[in-house]
Amino acid sequence: MSVDPNAATQSFPPPQPAQRPPGPARYLVPALVAAAVAVALGVYGKVHDPAGTAFNIAGFSSTGAVKSWLATTAFFFALVQLVSAFMVYGKLPGPRWAGKLHRWSGRIAFLVAVPVAVHCLYALGYQTYETRVMWHSALGCFFFGAFSAKMLLLRSQRLPGWLLPLVGGLVFTVLTLLWLTSALWFFRTFGVTT
Amino acid sequence: MKRPGPLLTLLAGLLLGLFMLSLNATTGTKTASSSYQEKSPAPKSSPAPKSSPAPTRTTAPPSASPSRTPAPTGVYTGRTDDDSSAVAVSLKGGKAIAYFCDGHNIESWLKGDVEDDGSMRLTGEDGAKLTGTVKGRRLGGSADVGGGHYTFTIDKAKKPSGLFRANSQVAGARIEGGWIILPNGKQVGILTRDGKPSAAPAIDPDTGAVTVDGQQLTARPVTP
Repeated sequence: MSVDPNAATQSFPPPQPAQRPPGPARYLVPALVAAAVAVALGVYGKVHDPAGTAFNIAGFSSTGAVKSWLATTAFFFALVQLVSAFMVYGKLPGPRWAGKLHRWSGRIAFLVAVPVAVHCLYALGYQTYETRVMWHSALGCFFFGAFSAKMLLLRSQRLPGWLLPLVGGLVFTVLTLLWLTSALWFFRTFGVTT
Repeated sequence: MKRPGPLLTLLAGLLLGLFMLSLNATTGTKTASSSYQEKSPAPKSSPAPKSSPAPTRTTAPPSASPSRTPAPTGVYTGRTDDDSSAVAVSLKGGKAIAYFCDGHNIESWLKGDVEDDGSMRLTGEDGAKLTGTVKGRRLGGSADVGGGHYTFTIDKAKKPSGLFRANSQVAGARIEGGWIILPNGKQVGILTRDGKPSAAPAIDPDTGAVTVDGQQLTARPVTP
């Protein structure tokens, strides 16, 4: 009787699984990237001299109006995000393309928000002279950090089930606060103009 | 399976942001060909204000030549960032005089010195303050007037834009008027009769002539 010397035995500790989840890096990398993005935006907004103006889009009375409408568009798609996320998680009845809806509404919301942020940082900078402005500046930087984290987390597998909804909810909440402290304020102050 | 979608989304956003930033930096607005400047962090090599930049200059961000030039001279006019008020700063020989005016009832004259690096801290009555820095053809800063805080970035004025003032007695009342003619030709001014402010009548931008309560006055350009 020959015994295979290489046969695995019960008592021997099993070899490390090749597909072992890569430890804390899964959380650490998105968290670090998020912090880096937020800090970089804040520092740029603080150090760079606000230019005061930037190019405008024809048909709008002011850059404030353009930004307010873009932000409102982003906020609308963020609401779609919220609903479609509930659909993806089966908390709401939804169509089979809910996942696609979630991905694309998110992309649109993000891409629409980018020009607003560029204008904010380029023309106005990071300001703290008023409570509203202070929160808007801080949350604006935080938003893009949190969004980066959310995107990077999507690429990891075997995350705790609560993590993505938590980060997604955070991104949504911050965007809502951003909208309240900017576009809503603008519409209330200057009227709903284009 | 690594999903590339989220990364592509981030990348698209980054590219869009950079694209818009470069658009902002290159197009500029109206007179400002050199609106975009990054502050270099360590040695404070803030580009020295040009005393009389050639009007045809359209390229080269001024950060290229951090050479010291004499104190900035000229008038800078424009609106506050919130569009509520007008600001004008007149500079000459290291001194500055500024006028802040909302065209209704908030106004302040401020004055002070201009530092070598083009920064200034001006003060006026009732605790009014204005801080700003000249960078080439722009002057950016903030003002605290009448309990409000305003930020602004204003451009070097070209005729007829400017800052004007008139002092006189009309029918026994002491008249003080301040006018800012904005780059677009609009006027923002306040006229006080014995300390009571009201919107000022328009002045002739060429001569400074203005009629107050039936009497002809002349508003003169303000220099420190």
